[in-house]
Amino acid sequence: MRIITVPHSLDDKTLDILAQGIGDWPPGEGLLFDARASQWASPYGLTAMLSLGQALAEARLPTPRFTVPEKDEVKSYWSRAGFFHAAAECFELVGKVPKRTSDPPSDVLLPVTPIRAAEDVHHVVGRIQERAQRILAAELNLAPKATVGFAMALSEACQNVVEHAGTGGWVAVQSYNWRKRLGRKVVVIAVSDSGIGFRRSLEPTEAKKVGDRWGDGAALELALLQNVSRFRDPGRGQGLAGIRRYLGRWQGKISVRSGTARLAVVPSWDDDDPLAEYLPFFPGSQVQITIPAQEADAP
Amino acid sequence: MMQRIDLAPMLRETLTTPYSDMVTRSTGVALRNRIEDAISGASHRTTQLDFTAVGLLDFSCADEVVAKLLLRVFDEEDHFVVLSGVTDSHLDAIDHVLERHGLSVAALGDGPLGARVLGVTTPDVQTAFQAIQRLGAGDAKRLADALHWTVERAADALQSLALRRLIQAAGGTYRPLMLP
Repeated sequence: MRIITVPHSLDDKTLDILAQGIGDWPPGEGLLFDARASQWASPYGLTAMLSLGQALAEARLPTPRFTVPEKDEVKSYWSRAGFFHAAAECFELVGKVPKRTSDPPSDVLLPVTPIRAAEDVHHVVGRIQERAQRILAAELNLAPKATVGFAMALSEACQNVVEHAGTGGWVAVQSYNWRKRLGRKVVVIAVSDSGIGFRRSLEPTEAKKVGDRWGDGAALELALLQNVSRFRDPGRGQGLAGIRRYLGRWQGKISVRSGTARLAVVPSWDDDDPLAEYLPFFPGSQVQITIPAQEADAP
Repeated sequence: MMQRIDLAPMLRETLTTPYSDMVTRSTGVALRNRIEDAISGASHRTTQLDFTAVGLLDFSCADEVVAKLLLRVFDEEDHFVVLSGVTDSHLDAIDHVLERHGLSVAALGDGPLGARVLGVTTPDVQTAFQAIQRLGAGDAKRLADALHWTVERAADALQSLALRRLIQAAGGTYRPLMLP
């Protein structure tokens, strides 16, 4: 069994380190993910970890093992955020896991939640709205109209799993203070699935048109920037287009990783690379939507 | 007479969840099928889709319930669709999907904007549409007089409205879809 150390802080940047540790896909031996020294994980990190476990299960590989963090506060937080409850479905958990008895932490708008069918999207949207409206208005200074758009963006991001992934996924929503990176609070939607990814989804209709440049990066560009969908129906592709329209209005950011590429629509407050290619492979697709607190004179 | 379809109860009958949000494409397809059945089973020329008590409306569901429905209805001569109960929280999704398909729809409203055209529109089309709601039936000269426009300008706006099924027109006269 190969041991892969989970980065101390697992987020959209450090996921590449985790992917590097996995190596070729599918792995040729059983895996143990060592999170004993973990200090923190973003919703992106937690949902990506779960979809990795799911991908290993779907590849009929031995059930991966996952050693839980040693620090009580980290364990407790991950438990209240719903991670261990979900992880028990696809990992053999090693170490004592706290019981999930209390409410989610106050900054968790939506604990880790599975998305497998359209009904799950209804549950997620119905469940989050009241709590999201309160937090977005009070803590992020977002106008009521922005909270509606937030729920729409969440709905569309979750639907992509149901419509395109060919398997299930996970969603989590959290607000936190990006003191170093932005100096403001943000709310983050993270959606991750273990499905076929953007390249395989679009390959039958788009690969020949693109030619030599075809790959994960080109597929992401078509889907995210040109609203291309594998369906010929002209109404398709509106979900990501609608999310981009919403984020443009509220200086938000969307980043999508699929296979070996990551594409981001980067607002002025961030310095992320718009396109990163030739990354270590990670199964499925991972979407992160970030909406920053608005300045006092924002629209 | 106008056929009124109350979407919130129809949504609850279609889904097994207790929520009043019109989200997901599959929900939109299921709702549109029921709306199309209701339209085909009625003799009315105008159908009013009432969004009252509908919570969130996302882009995918709006695409099916509004845009695709309009495309289907436009295949049939002499059938009109108007929306009512549309709130600010529905507007973004409806405008977005209509613009994507190059469509327009009339929305009834009690708010400060009153009745208005959603989706693809121009200032002249919007102004003419709202004037016609006040004026009632008439012709291009009547509209031109009311708006201090030339008759040609009024006739152009009326033609656009008629082509987009936002008013009923016949033999040089017009009337709003929903008479007071």
